[in-house]
Amino acid sequence: MDIYLPIAEVSVNAGILVLLGAVVGFISGLFGIGGGFLMTPILLWMGIPPVVAVASEANHVAASSASSVISYSRKRQVDFRMGGVMAGGGAVGALLGVEVFRWLRLLGQAELVVSLSYLIFLGLIGGLMLVESLGSVLRQRRGQVSTKRRDRRPIWLYGLPFKVRFPRSRLYISIIPPVVLGVFVGILSAIMGVGGGFILVPAMVYILRMPAGVVVGTSLFQIIITTSLASVLQAGRNQSVDIVLATLLLLGGVLGAQFGARASSRFRAEELRALLGLIVLIMGLQMGLGLFITPEDPFILVGSGK
Amino acid sequence: MVTPAIPPPDIFVPEPGPSVSAALTDANVRVTSAFSGAQIVLYGAVFDPETRPSDVVVIVRGPDQPIRIARKVRVAGLWINSRPVVFEGAPGFYMAASSRPLTEIASFSTLRRLGAGIDHLPMNAPEEERIETSYGVRDVVVSRLGGDYLEWRRAVIRLKESANLYATDHEGVRFVDRGLFRAEIDLPTSAPIGEYQTEIILFQDGEPVSRRARTITVEKAGLERWLFLFANERPWMYGVVSVLIALLSGWLASVVFRRR
Repeated sequence: MDIYLPIAEVSVNAGILVLLGAVVGFISGLFGIGGGFLMTPILLWMGIPPVVAVASEANHVAASSASSVISYSRKRQVDFRMGGVMAGGGAVGALLGVEVFRWLRLLGQAELVVSLSYLIFLGLIGGLMLVESLGSVLRQRRGQVSTKRRDRRPIWLYGLPFKVRFPRSRLYISIIPPVVLGVFVGILSAIMGVGGGFILVPAMVYILRMPAGVVVGTSLFQIIITTSLASVLQAGRNQSVDIVLATLLLLGGVLGAQFGARASSRFRAEELRALLGLIVLIMGLQMGLGLFITPEDPFILVGSGK
Repeated sequence: MVTPAIPPPDIFVPEPGPSVSAALTDANVRVTSAFSGAQIVLYGAVFDPETRPSDVVVIVRGPDQPIRIARKVRVAGLWINSRPVVFEGAPGFYMAASSRPLTEIASFSTLRRLGAGIDHLPMNAPEEERIETSYGVRDVVVSRLGGDYLEWRRAVIRLKESANLYATDHEGVRFVDRGLFRAEIDLPTSAPIGEYQTEIILFQDGEPVSRRARTITVEKAGLERWLFLFANERPWMYGVVSVLIALLSGWLASVVFRRR
């Protein structure tokens, strides 16, 4: 059934959107990420204007993250204090990001920056995750005991002022690194239409050294706050949230996320990380590839400065 | 020309001299959630006591939409957009249908004067270089084309044509019976909202002898209209509502699944 979207002003198949929402929601629940980095490029390929795709996708990410965060919080796997601190930074980042995106669109460079961000961030993080997790999978196969990562935390994390206790994460660190991380992810979420889980999760593990158990839940909690805010800002500032598009996506999304969260217990963490790394890497390359291919038509219409 | 006395509405009194009449099957296109473009049929008749050979040209011009176009340039191995050029005064939709190729119907200057045909669309990238500050963005180049103007203009038309927003059809006006013609206007899904001016011109011996104007209105209707107005008139409220829907449905899904 084709349906005309009131803000995007294109006609798309409603069934396909619900199905896509479900598939991405499943992946989102499985890996504990928002899934925006998968959905936004798909929406672009379907012909949804980039501005609308990015803004409406933030809404969909908020929904599927809300769907899975509740089960994490029941298992006491959400560090609300850490999530709140990062979300504070995320709010500032989202504000900045929405303005930066508006400015880039007027320059006609929004497309370039979106493609480049995907290529760089997804390519880098996907590649690192793949290499790291494949390494540990291989070590386990060969029967080597995985060398327990030494829990030594970097000194600079302790040298910074404004220290706060995070009991759930068993950390006593400065709030500066989580806030900076939040700002960075907030900007990306507004520009790339992603929640930023694919950056947050590894950053929380490798930089903040949070215990693995609380990482995914906390990342989802912070993503909900950041994407909700980005969504309201995009609607208020750019009038670019398509509520019909977002609702169709989240119909499938919230259900898919539930199934995904259940399925996640059947896989080993390293294997999951390797798979996620592969998906992230492929998406990054796919989005970035267009920059290197000689275009068929050298001219391109850039969105009217709505 | 003598104006005839106003006739009773159901009695037809032909005008002296050649004239053209036209009507649309649907002058009001409602964009609802089922909208997937529209086809409007224009039909009309040519009245000519002297039965001279006639040509009919139908021109549909949608609401003006400034066009921003960029050219891909290769920088350090990457294809990136140049700074966009803005064309002003170009319509968001344009169709020229005729019974024969336009160039056979009338001379270049006549067509230019009437703005008939894509080649005669008044589309201006302002002549002199002008650098604007808009929305706080400095140096948006409005035009720096000079000699390249034609190439850019052709690109605009090519891109609009591939999006089905501009069309030229040399056989678009078909005479289906003596003096009776029809033309089809295909509006794609991406057709802009607003008023479309439709002009029907009767040509004889290369000169326009009679003209008729009709208006097509494309407007959002029903839920589409309500949502669009909501999003544009109360954007912050709209944003809050859409986020609440998202969070509530996420919460609901997790409650439902917990019970099972």
